[in-house]
Amino acid sequence: MASLSLPKHSLPSVLPSQTRKDPFPQNLKIFSKSSPSQFYGTRLTYSSSSSIPCSSSTKNLILAKVKKGTAPPPFTLKDQDGKNVSLSKFKGKPVVVYFYPADETPGCTKQACAFRDSYEKFKKAGAEVIGISGDDVSSHKAFAKKYRLPYTLLADESNKVRKEWGVPGDLFGTLPGRETYVLDKNGVVQLIYNNQFQPEKHIDETLKILKGI
Amino acid sequence: MSILAQNKLPLGSQRHFHKYHVPSIHTRVHCSATTTTKPKTEPNRLVVEPQVVLPTPSLSTNSARPVLNDPSLLSTWSHRAWVASGCTTVLISLAKSLAGAANSHIWLEPVLAGLVGYILADLGSGVYHWGIDNYGDASTPSFGTQIEAFQGHHKWPWTITRRQFANNLHALARAVTFTVLPIDLLCNDPIIHGFVAVCSGCIMFSQQFHAWAHGTKSRLPPLVVALQDLSILVSRSQHAAHHRPPYNNNYCIVSGVWNEFLDKQMVFEALEMILFFKLGVRPRSWSEPNSDWTEEAETPSQLTVS
Repeated sequence: MASLSLPKHSLPSVLPSQTRKDPFPQNLKIFSKSSPSQFYGTRLTYSSSSSIPCSSSTKNLILAKVKKGTAPPPFTLKDQDGKNVSLSKFKGKPVVVYFYPADETPGCTKQACAFRDSYEKFKKAGAEVIGISGDDVSSHKAFAKKYRLPYTLLADESNKVRKEWGVPGDLFGTLPGRETYVLDKNGVVQLIYNNQFQPEKHIDETLKILKGI
Repeated sequence: MSILAQNKLPLGSQRHFHKYHVPSIHTRVHCSATTTTKPKTEPNRLVVEPQVVLPTPSLSTNSARPVLNDPSLLSTWSHRAWVASGCTTVLISLAKSLAGAANSHIWLEPVLAGLVGYILADLGSGVYHWGIDNYGDASTPSFGTQIEAFQGHHKWPWTITRRQFANNLHALARAVTFTVLPIDLLCNDPIIHGFVAVCSGCIMFSQQFHAWAHGTKSRLPPLVVALQDLSILVSRSQHAAHHRPPYNNNYCIVSGVWNEFLDKQMVFEALEMILFFKLGVRPRSWSEPNSDWTEEAETPSQLTVS
């Protein structure tokens, strides 16, 4: 059973051709009563056939949107040291790809430090961690250095990969979304987790799924 | 985690020292949010070091540490005049509301409007407070003095309890005068006046509620303590939370009724993120706690009597 409460306006901010069916307010009424945390968390695992039609239909309208069970489009981006890094390099091991709004913002710092503090657990699971935002290489370098982040940060400067993967924005598209994808050894997506305002939860959710991969 | 005592100046801080300031050593442990970089440390080991933060003055020379009997804490006749004018405009609005309600034989609507005014005043105080605390500086047009005063308040929060009444309220009273007077002159609706009177009255007196929130229980009038305990006025504990790192919560200072909701729903954090992405401005509360926020402890030896 998927626990699913959707961020209020979690639609990709970029593709103009999308038509927007907006079932979210109704879903929101259902789920927002339970707890504020559910308001901000979407965990899409689609384990049963009763997947929520509204969310998937809206997201399906976006071309090249990454879904669970599919392999995401490949990319090559520069890391914090300016080296080119390709997603294909990590085939053969699980990868956690987390998209975050920006370096040096409170939520992203919490998230980065949380990934850092649990890095041993990710390594134990044989997984790599990659953080992606629209910041440039120098920003990533400073951010990684300041907080001693042991994993790769990639500079998606024109948000090209973010758009290709269809990472939804938040708050009417004013904020880049915070979404994490877990890819298995074959490069297939097994988890998509979205939560803008509770960044530490991304670590818990990804570690949970890695146990099963 | 190992904690190493180390003297360290904050990076990028201004390096001039105010002659009245005694450097104070603040020990803060940051878990997971910040670490200082030390090449010798193993990469996976988190080392947390206390930082010595030497006070950096705000941009204006007016922000000297207040002293006992500091003239800047006393009320002037100008202050008293503005408070009188503010109170007058609010009382006129209230009178118009009561008279209009009596004439029209309606009571519920003006009372409800007043209640709405009281509730919205709290929200307004929070939004304004958040804006002033996080953006702009002493050189900002119109708001510069207020911003500087708020920063000074964070450094020396106890000062507000030493300000005389009119000194404390005059800025808000001036704003209320300019806002409410036109409404008094142009409007006769008792419901609107019910809202305006209560809302503007609460806003004008929010600085007094704020001062009381910094008071100690033993020194406050019992009625005030009772109102605080009932959450009709912002409580001392709730407001104290605002004066602790990371200084990004409990912004409302009338009743504080909005604080829990705004903080739990991360409304201000969302607004800060939006402003960052749209305008490129970072709020002050995102920066590492530095001397702009850090409260200086009040001890007898540090206070000078002029």
